Amino acid sequence: MVELPNNALVNYIFPNNEQVWWSLMIVIYPYLTGLIAGAFVVSALYHVLNLKQFKPIANFALIAAFCFGLFAAVPLLVHLGQPQRAFEIYVTPHTTSAMSIFGYVYSGYMLLLVIEIWLIYRVYFISRANETRGIQQRVWYLLALGVTTYHPDSAQLDRKLARILAAIGIPWACLLHGYVGFVFGSVKAISWWATALQPIIFLSSAIVSGIAVLIVMYTFIKWRSQAGYDYSMIKNLAAILWATFIFDWALEMLEIAHVYYQDAHEWAVIGPLISGPLYGSYIWGQVVWLSLVPTILLGYAVIQRGSGKGMLYMVNVGSFLLLLQVLFMRFNVVVGGQLISKSARGFVDFHWEILGKEGILTAGLIFAAPFVTYYIISRFIPIFEDPAGYAKFNPPASK
Amino acid sequence: MDESASDSPKKADPYSRRVFLKQIVSGTVTTLMIYTPGARGGHETSRIWKQRSTEHQWAYIIDVDKCIGWGGCVRACARENNVPDGHFRTWVERYIHTEDGVYVDSPKGGSEGFEPVKEEIRDKAKYARFVPKMCNHCQNPPCVQVCPVGATFKSPEGFVLVDHEHCLGCAYCVQACPYGARFINAEINKSDKCTWCYHRIKQGKLPACVEACPTGARKFGDLKDPKSDVSIILQQGHWTVLRPDMHTGPTCFYIGLPKEVI
Amino acid sequence: MSNPSPRSHLYRLGVLLVAVFIGLLVLKAVTTPSSWNYEAWYRGDVLTDMSNQPLVHGGNDSCRDCHQDEVNKIKKLKHKRLSCEGCHGPLADHVRDGEKSADAKVITESRWQCLNCHGELAAKPRGFPLFTSEVSKHRGLEEGTVCLKCHDAHDPTP
Repeated sequence: MVELPNNALVNYIFPNNEQVWWSLMIVIYPYLTGLIAGAFVVSALYHVLNLKQFKPIANFALIAAFCFGLFAAVPLLVHLGQPQRAFEIYVTPHTTSAMSIFGYVYSGYMLLLVIEIWLIYRVYFISRANETRGIQQRVWYLLALGVTTYHPDSAQLDRKLARILAAIGIPWACLLHGYVGFVFGSVKAISWWATALQPIIFLSSAIVSGIAVLIVMYTFIKWRSQAGYDYSMIKNLAAILWATFIFDWALEMLEIAHVYYQDAHEWAVIGPLISGPLYGSYIWGQVVWLSLVPTILLGYAVIQRGSGKGMLYMVNVGSFLLLLQVLFMRFNVVVGGQLISKSARGFVDFHWEILGKEGILTAGLIFAAPFVTYYIISRFIPIFEDPAGYAKFNPPASK
Repeated sequence: MDESASDSPKKADPYSRRVFLKQIVSGTVTTLMIYTPGARGGHETSRIWKQRSTEHQWAYIIDVDKCIGWGGCVRACARENNVPDGHFRTWVERYIHTEDGVYVDSPKGGSEGFEPVKEEIRDKAKYARFVPKMCNHCQNPPCVQVCPVGATFKSPEGFVLVDHEHCLGCAYCVQACPYGARFINAEINKSDKCTWCYHRIKQGKLPACVEACPTGARKFGDLKDPKSDVSIILQQGHWTVLRPDMHTGPTCFYIGLPKEVI
Repeated sequence: MSNPSPRSHLYRLGVLLVAVFIGLLVLKAVTTPSSWNYEAWYRGDVLTDMSNQPLVHGGNDSCRDCHQDEVNKIKKLKHKRLSCEGCHGPLADHVRDGEKSADAKVITESRWQCLNCHGELAAKPRGFPLFTSEVSKHRGLEEGTVCLKCHDAHDPTP
């Protein structure tokens, strides 16, 4: 039997607490935003820090971030009771609400992402606009904003601007995801959420999931196209992933250790929560199996000398487990916090829905959408090739 | 009556050019300013409360020692405000303090009264009470702070209300309320809660729950009137509020609240 | 357009962004409710809307309009503090537009109505009249006998 908090003899939950109001949609929303932030950070390794080694995946990471970004707000819309009023967050954003900045931060970020991608791919749009005919040509023409000549000076300029945008994008991505953590961390009524570490835990786990998803996607794409893997790049990325995850996991453990050691009124409900309803998904899932196994796998893959198929497998299994770890973490935070009734004397039952509006099926569809979008985009623009290769300076520079 | 005393807003002509421009400018300025920390802190509401020059300043008192747990208040509230089954704008809890721990229940929100508890609990009971619960109409309401669009707000006279024409149904307020007083009304998919029967007060009546109470366990009145029940009782100083650690400043005050009550 | 400036695409992007920005500002101004209270951040008209919610319960005074005698009589009886609508149902179910629309509830068959208040429970306040199972007069009564067989609901002297 589950131990009950605050000396309760029977599981008592407030009559209005029988439902978990934020369910799977609010679990996959921070998961998707996390993937954007993480993927963007990887693209910045080349676009800002100029680490040449990550050049082959810099644009891939950027496009992936864009695809996740397109769908990050969808779970929120599905979750809203009145989705047709979502625009109000732009019209009357209530400044005292942590949530109100979402509209502006998210759209601003997507705008930045679109402009950066546009600057990088403009040269390709121009070459397509010049080589295609009919409707296709109109679309490429529009994408190039009607400028169908590529000036050699603009190549320089675009690269510089894209780099500035990428640099602004890093703190912005941190804000976007740190804010998601803040939305939870600032709710004093829910002890499982209310910690100042929440934003930084969300942020570091976002970077973990972003790197991990890129590794898995990269391997899958290269395997399908039989294009050959860039082993040393993967190994380096795995090393970054490994280090980031250790930092992330340390923060998660610090948070829980702090609550445990302080042994204040929060622990009175959190103790029974993690030894009761969250025992499987938190202790065994998030903390033990999905953390220790990938840490060991990635650590071994990074430290050992070989960098061939064996390393690739280990890194991929590790990355996949870390993707699950972050998903479990989102679930444990979002749903876990609501399992504690505000009565502080009982736990709410979470019911898995399959076909419901916020059920597993919807969650799966929304989560699959970015990958489908990526596939479609990759049919139209080169992702692993440098778009600069399409430059045709026509008319030639007049000097 | 003084202008600011009215709860009704001054209506501006929505089509005048000046107002239009003013809206554009103020909209832009707020959009630019809003994220400055402290620019509009959560304590603003409590400042409004203190400086309020309204005609009324409402308060609610629950005298735990008088509650008989018959549930008529819960039924009246649900009927008056169309509260769907399974949701409660007010509910009654039963606390039984025993040597082994605390027994709490609230079957159907107490709306149909209470059955006797099992003998093993009754025999160990040291004391027992019925505790009515509802929205505390806080002076510093966390639900108002977190509402992203200003759909929930504190009215000048102290009511914490939800604008059903503006609510997104995001449920952030439901999370932020430490009292479990809020819910998403499944029939309209919007946030819902006790309004202290705002419509009844404005029509000179008492809240439905207060009228339904046969023993005077629930009282509602105006703190601006020194002779009102609530003023007299609060002056005696024996009141307490729920979850004072949450720093929400409830204006629902409890008399005789057992310390086990959360 | 044989030799455009190397920045021409940026100028076009700039124009596009400014146009979108202005469009959004206009949209914001148009869609913000006209009665918006910028001080306390809510739609001012909501207060009027909410005060127009129809009353369901009229209170004991509203009964007097038609049932003057009964209301006056009850004022001297033991249950004078009770809400009429608590047992007889809300006004809105009985009267519509000043005319009687349906009979008010009169419960004669239920013990629950009485026991709900006067049944013995540990949490009941001290001094409140409770029907303990030991009431001597009740011995020998059949299980399930309705209280109103002997007691008057409006003046329930023992």
